[in-house]
Amino acid sequence: MSVSFLLRRLFYGLILMVGVVILNFMLIRLAPGDPAMVIAGEMGGATDEILAQIRTDYGLDKPLMTQLWIYISGVAQGDLGQSFFFNQPVATLIAQRVLPTILLVITAQVLSIVIGVFLGVIAARKPNGILSGFVTVVATIGYAVPVFWTGIMLIVLFASIIPIFPVDGMQSMRLRGASFWVQALDVAHHLVLPALTLALIYLAQYARLSRASMMDVLGSDYIRTARAKGAGERAILFKHALRNAALPILTVAGMQFGNLISGALLVETVFNWPGMGRLAFDSILRRDYPTIMGVLFFASAMVVVANIITDLSYRWADPRLKGQ
Amino acid sequence: MKPLLEIEDLKVTFDTRHGAVTALDSVSLSVNAGETLGVVGESGCGKSITALSVMGLVPSPPGRVAGGAIRLLGEDLTKATDARMRALRGAEMAMIFQEPMTSLNPVFTIGAQIAEAIMLHQDIGADGAMKAAVELLDRVGIPSAKARARDYPHQLSGGMRQRVMIAMAVSCQPKLLIADEPTTALDVTVQAQIFDLLNEIQRDFGAAIMLITHDMGAIAEMADRVAVMYAGRVIETGTADNVLDNPRHPYTRGLIDCIPNIAKTEGELREIPGVVPPLHLLGAGCAFAARCDSADARCLREKPALRDHGAHPAACHAVEEGRI
Amino acid sequence: MTTQIAAPATPKAQSPAREAWSMFVRNRPALFGLVLLGAIIAATLYGTFIYDVDPFEIVWAPLERPGVTPEFPLGTDYLGRDIFAGLLIGGGPTLAVGAVAALITMLIGVGLGALAGYYGGWIDNLLMRVTEFFQVLPALLFAMVLVTLFSPSLWTIAIAIGVVSWPQTARLTRAEFLRVKELEYVLAARAIGARNGRIIWRLILPNAAPTLIVSGTLTVGVAILFEAGLSFLGLGDPNAISWGMMIGANRDYILVAWWPVTLPGVAIFLTVLAVSLVGDGLNDAFNPKLRQR
Repeated sequence: MSVSFLLRRLFYGLILMVGVVILNFMLIRLAPGDPAMVIAGEMGGATDEILAQIRTDYGLDKPLMTQLWIYISGVAQGDLGQSFFFNQPVATLIAQRVLPTILLVITAQVLSIVIGVFLGVIAARKPNGILSGFVTVVATIGYAVPVFWTGIMLIVLFASIIPIFPVDGMQSMRLRGASFWVQALDVAHHLVLPALTLALIYLAQYARLSRASMMDVLGSDYIRTARAKGAGERAILFKHALRNAALPILTVAGMQFGNLISGALLVETVFNWPGMGRLAFDSILRRDYPTIMGVLFFASAMVVVANIITDLSYRWADPRLKGQ
Repeated sequence: MKPLLEIEDLKVTFDTRHGAVTALDSVSLSVNAGETLGVVGESGCGKSITALSVMGLVPSPPGRVAGGAIRLLGEDLTKATDARMRALRGAEMAMIFQEPMTSLNPVFTIGAQIAEAIMLHQDIGADGAMKAAVELLDRVGIPSAKARARDYPHQLSGGMRQRVMIAMAVSCQPKLLIADEPTTALDVTVQAQIFDLLNEIQRDFGAAIMLITHDMGAIAEMADRVAVMYAGRVIETGTADNVLDNPRHPYTRGLIDCIPNIAKTEGELREIPGVVPPLHLLGAGCAFAARCDSADARCLREKPALRDHGAHPAACHAVEEGRI
Repeated sequence: MTTQIAAPATPKAQSPAREAWSMFVRNRPALFGLVLLGAIIAATLYGTFIYDVDPFEIVWAPLERPGVTPEFPLGTDYLGRDIFAGLLIGGGPTLAVGAVAALITMLIGVGLGALAGYYGGWIDNLLMRVTEFFQVLPALLFAMVLVTLFSPSLWTIAIAIGVVSWPQTARLTRAEFLRVKELEYVLAARAIGARNGRIIWRLILPNAAPTLIVSGTLTVGVAILFEAGLSFLGLGDPNAISWGMMIGANRDYILVAWWPVTLPGVAIFLTVLAVSLVGDGLNDAFNPKLRQR
């Protein structure tokens, strides 16, 4: 049952990805100007030779449907095109940068959910308490602060005032060649500020959401039943209530994943984090379209995967969905 | 013999926009070991608040016990610590709620929810508790209890869920079982089954039952003694036979007239005209005066006290003066 | 016979909008947001009449601290341009793009959501699949691609933000339509054979309006943050100064001079804060029952 659900979900994800590929294809052709010139990019040194190369590679002299077919089958074989600026296959470029982005995004997601939900649960116990007020205020502020600006402010704070965390890049040059654990620790050290920056906005939102969701759940009949059994306050909050309050939180966590990737784009730029966001920024400045499209494709694939994981965990969390 | 539960002059107030509103006003009741006390009245008359006060489950804030005592086996529950109340709830006293559809936690199996109640009060492992839960499910008439214990609440009908609630409530053999409108949300045929089950449970476990209901028919079927409540006060009390055969208070008479009677087919279904007044609008006089055919000037001016006027106590000037 | 029970005072009959307004003005954070937003809009519209310095012109030494030179109260940026003038001018594009982008978001989102929710069936199915597809694309990245492909201008930026932001509005509208279309008066109108267009416009939309107005207000805040992000990345309109662009341009000098980056950030923060306070206030005013949350 669950396997067929997973297969159905994967198939649907595949269709979405084909959609992204078609969209990429159409965008290049919708852009003003000669597609070959567009693909070559402004900085690519669009010599006649390169343009001719592109026209054969992409079949630009053939009918549109054939071009689409060439493009899709290329992507299916892992060929996302050639970056004329970096002079490398796009797939290679992305492969080098996908792990840092995943590391950043997942760390931020976990941090924001764990801390945010914890704060929200505690705040829900006293709807008019100090912590509740604090959560509301922080959520309102956190929502209004541009994430890149938070990052820059943290750089000021940690670069000049309390220099305990590195503010640039992912690794220290001097540790090249050190043992794995030393390097891993170094990466974690570099990860603190970017992940915190990215987590801060969502943390506040999760706190507000889980507070509201918990307050909703805490008023329900089955919580009263749990009290009538003699269950303790902690069991009521973290066992009886949170399992139910987690459902809307999960939904939002899934929907936020795309926004998180967008945020990562900005944060990577601020902290020089060598991920896909940084790559997107560099390639957009150079109008390196194959790379931009590759990043868009890959980032969308990450969202699709995240959605599938969300759906699965939702079904795990809510027994009412299992039979369906 | 000392009663099992003794409520004396209990006063419960709620802080609202209209200031502190008195929800229960000098309520006195007692339940003897092994007997069934029916507490009857329309919705909003304070019977559920009385039950929740005994369990210590009145939502606080805004609710608060402002005076009086609730003694369970001589121990005053209004002065008990939270930890002591938790130890008593589910063990010495247990409660069944009106809404079986929402009173069970949707994300845990029914077996686990009963087992939890057992583990909270008894030194028993998870396996032992689960085994005991299955036995209880079998005892309350759930077919193939072992398989059913792994079901989630949404997989059961309302009547089945109420059986699960009863199993959970009696899991630690409480001395006092409070049933708050246990059959109101159920079909008529199922109602009778649940009442039969409660009677059986009482016989086998020796628990006293405090049955909260708006239905005089249920009182006739179940109760040994009865207390009629109106607007936060007990207005008539006595043995069930006495009160039903010879009701004194006009309100009690009204309630009895509302019992649908197949023998009296010619009369239409009767009801008491008017509604229970909102608690914050209670004046100085008898709260029932506005709906009472026998009310006179004194009734509007002065609250009648619960006094014995012959057969059993009632709180009514007209009865006292012999006008009715 | 007379009764002791006083009838509850009947509140004066008020139109829902008036009632919402009176709730709104009693809500202090919301009122603060409204005043703040008004002040910011006034400053961007009329500020330059009072403080007449060209924000594009190099007027002084670079990176002058705020408060040192009275002529340039908030100091200068890395090129020696006046920051206060930049803040006054830079609010214009930010607010305009935010408003237009929110409008586009609402037009697409409400339109598609209404169709999906009202007609249901295959239309709903198709539109929801399209919505899901657009939700898969990371919004900022997609907007960056659109802006780059069609060259940055205030219009392309606003359109790009609208094109990537509508799915949530569509889902919300659909949910509202699903709710309202089952209400009795709508069913009654259908039963007497009112035309679909009339039912959507005259019966359902007004009932869904409070939710959509709140959502629209909050969308303005999101769009402003979006515009700031794009400008920060250097994808803003090259011919206009905006707050995000000021941050992006000066960020390399942040360790030498905090103010050219910090001040525009504060401006963005205050604007989005004002908008979201107004949005929250409207939400409370329209849904008094949810106030305790």
